[in-house]
Amino acid sequence: MMMTALHDEYAASGGKVVDFHGWALPVQFSGIVQEHLHTRAQAGVFDCSHMGEFMIRGAEAIAAFDRLVFSNLSGLKIGPCRYSAFLNGRGGIIDDCVFFRLSGEELYVITNAGPLDVVRKLIAEACPDAEDLSEATAKIDVQGPASRDVLLAIGMDGIAPMKYWTGRRMDWRGTEIIVSRAGYTGELGYELYVPRTIAVDLWRAVLAHEATLPCGLGARDTLRLETSKPLNGEDLSEAITPLEAGLTPLIQWDKDFIGKDALAAVRDAGDYRILTAILSADRRAPRHGFEVKSDGVHIGEVTSGTFGPSLNRGVGLAFLPEKFATPGTQLTAGPRDLPIETCAMPAYTDGTCRMKFDA
Amino acid sequence: MDPATLRYTKDHEWIGEEGGLYVVGITDHAQDQLGDITYVELPSVGKELAAGAEAATVESVKAASDVYAPVAGKVAAVNDALEATPELVNQDPFGGGWFFKLEGVNAGDLDGLLDAAAYKEFADNEAH
Repeated sequence: MMMTALHDEYAASGGKVVDFHGWALPVQFSGIVQEHLHTRAQAGVFDCSHMGEFMIRGAEAIAAFDRLVFSNLSGLKIGPCRYSAFLNGRGGIIDDCVFFRLSGEELYVITNAGPLDVVRKLIAEACPDAEDLSEATAKIDVQGPASRDVLLAIGMDGIAPMKYWTGRRMDWRGTEIIVSRAGYTGELGYELYVPRTIAVDLWRAVLAHEATLPCGLGARDTLRLETSKPLNGEDLSEAITPLEAGLTPLIQWDKDFIGKDALAAVRDAGDYRILTAILSADRRAPRHGFEVKSDGVHIGEVTSGTFGPSLNRGVGLAFLPEKFATPGTQLTAGPRDLPIETCAMPAYTDGTCRMKFDA
Repeated sequence: MDPATLRYTKDHEWIGEEGGLYVVGITDHAQDQLGDITYVELPSVGKELAAGAEAATVESVKAASDVYAPVAGKVAAVNDALEATPELVNQDPFGGGWFFKLEGVNAGDLDGLLDAAAYKEFADNEAH
């Protein structure tokens, strides 16, 4: 298995390691529920170094990259993040991604670990000079209402003026790093992209702060499901279009991109399933693969689900026909007909991610 | 209950006699593997269970698993506290985290189960 720059740090915090897309990553440290609740109350620290990072330089290369994703890129200013995905020729999602401009000439792109080989090839073909920073970069996410205080306390002053859903370059202890104020938890949080050579120093500095707790993939999953964020490989796949994934508002129909014609055909045919947030009536969780029924009739399936510690009930995502996606629709899921209902996204609404600060 | 005196199954249940009834739960190894337990579904009192029959369900954040009757018997009592506080199974698997009690058990049936030493060896091997 591949190991991140922080692999040898896990044991010191009691990390239990599992195989995630070929990476040895911690599923939990002190316990999933405790890590989850700590992230919502204070700050959780996640090693996400398995993810991919690319730097696209120059107007020509950025224009070529624009053809790989369905979101509008030409009007993107320096700073704001954009969420999008790479599609195949059938309009299916190869991988979702986030990108932002560091300058007029530089686009920073973050992708997932699972389909990285395919995405790497796509980017290399479209933008031969793109720099693949995935191996050289460690990614540490600091998430939770205390995350800003934690990073300011370790001297990361560059984060102070950052608004929600923006990214920028800054200096930390003499090293150039990239930070986005974003995350996968619904809380105020920062994603730190640093040279792997300083990963251990940063990890230890952040964990030395009393407000932080190391967190694993388990809590990352419960946090993202409460905030109704899809995971590539679970909820998203090459068989799923962005229309079905609920990303319709992000699709830029007046530009050219791979998969556009197939996507337009799905749009025009209509009547596709929609990724919908679901809640259990009690603490039992809907699980990946559970059949969803309405009055005993099959209508769709659960793509991921778990117990939501902050909601104190089961929570998940399911593909359902549009007429059943209306919040409050009563349905059942799984072999034991677990009672569930659809709900608006995000299922958990008390997240602090949009918190504002005086500059 | 004293883990040293209990009997065990390869599905990680324990069983032990207390006041004429046979108490059943899941082992410390099992709760550790499951992680944070979030929901326990218990059998109804009075239900007749065959040896190896599905008796209860335990859900953790990660997964749902069945709990089986280690021996045949009739459910005499269930641990209602697990409904509101399933984390008792994590905190005290051999005590406050018990699942149900059986009556009408043939004491000789326990001889077919693992003793503490044999279970420890089994669980250690499984973990590797």
